[in-house]
Amino acid sequence: MTSTLKIAIAESSLLLRSGLEAQLKRLAEFKIQLVEIITTESLFESLRMHKPDLVIINPAFPGTFTPQQIKEECGCQEMKCIALLYSMSDPAQLRLYDEQITIFDGLNDIKNKLEGLLVSTIQKETESEDAQTLSTREKEIVVCVVKGMTNRKIADQLFLSTHTVITHRRNIARKLQIHSASGLTVYAIVNKLIELEDIQQKIG
Amino acid sequence: MKDNQQETENSMYKKGTYRASDKMSNLICDNYPMVLVMSRFGIELGFGGKNIGEVCKQNEVDVKTFLTVVNFLIEGKPVKIEKVSECISLEVLIRYLHNAHDYFLNFRLPHLRRKLLEAIEGCREDVAFVIREFFDEYAEEVNKHMMYEENTVYPYVKGLLQGEKDPRYNISIFRKRHDQIEMKIIELKNILIKYYPGQGSNLLNSVLFDIFATEEDLATHSLVEDYLFVPAILELEKKNAL
Repeated sequence: MTSTLKIAIAESSLLLRSGLEAQLKRLAEFKIQLVEIITTESLFESLRMHKPDLVIINPAFPGTFTPQQIKEECGCQEMKCIALLYSMSDPAQLRLYDEQITIFDGLNDIKNKLEGLLVSTIQKETESEDAQTLSTREKEIVVCVVKGMTNRKIADQLFLSTHTVITHRRNIARKLQIHSASGLTVYAIVNKLIELEDIQQKIG
Repeated sequence: MKDNQQETENSMYKKGTYRASDKMSNLICDNYPMVLVMSRFGIELGFGGKNIGEVCKQNEVDVKTFLTVVNFLIEGKPVKIEKVSECISLEVLIRYLHNAHDYFLNFRLPHLRRKLLEAIEGCREDVAFVIREFFDEYAEEVNKHMMYEENTVYPYVKGLLQGEKDPRYNISIFRKRHDQIEMKIIELKNILIKYYPGQGSNLLNSVLFDIFATEEDLATHSLVEDYLFVPAILELEKKNAL
């Protein structure tokens, strides 16, 4: 299995950073794209910009921020935080991290830890893909599509960006396995999301 | 040995290459969808114990084209054929495709529509209404798709066969716009299976079987067009350009 993995390393020591990078690149299982974060000041901005899958970070690096705060601050809730350990750290603080790598870990240890983290993300993805029920927002969008509204109009009415509308429509199609507007019409009528009179103007 | 076993388990049809000396009745019994293929070539039932070559000759069907299509479809997965224009006659293949269109538009879809409407009669009125709308819209799409081939592609190919080249058209135009016509009937199938709110019935199950069969029939029809028809025309265009 080769999957591209975007990893940010937030560590001020050049030797540790480059040592870790060299080892990560030896992992044949992953195609790794690296982002270096050298100073605490550039941490949030860099994470926001690159949106990595994982960040490997010295717990002392972000100061008083917890991993949860970093994820929220950068808008990457799915990102995993791995603590990079080379000195004694407070165990209570470490528990907040998704995983830990110490400077005595071998290549195999690192590989296993990364794989463990990825498996849990993959499982999450398949679980959510199985879910076939539409959210309230998605139902609203189905109704709009069935009424014959354009993405632009739907966006205006629901105060969303057209980009968001398109994302919703893609998710709807995936969940229901229905791609056409006429197919969604059948779905909407069957599930009583809309009355026949509401769409007959369009047909007539 | 193990692989062989698995293959027979995966497929309900007998695989292998058929030759002119094989019995026509064996071909049909081993692979019953071939009854439609045979009929589209203009061969009727009641051929007794004759072999494929004899039956084709009797019905004035080019046996080479017949065997190429049959063996291509039996393979189960699309295989690119080298120098395909040498394995088929385009005139015969066009007649075959035309007969298939005639079958879909004038028999299969109207028949399916009648059966579907009867099956959903007892269902909520609004649901029956939108399902009928959906079907009619779909049938119209199939009609447009096939009429484009009848009115634009076939005349072009017939001209090409007589050495005329229409400078405004080439088969790549068709290749690019040739969409998957079976996608929407898959949607109808999904809707009925997952969301049909009325009571099930033997008739509705039978409609579902028909939809499954139509879906597969349309998909293989497209495969013949994409893997035999279009490549043969590409070769002909190249030859004519020389």
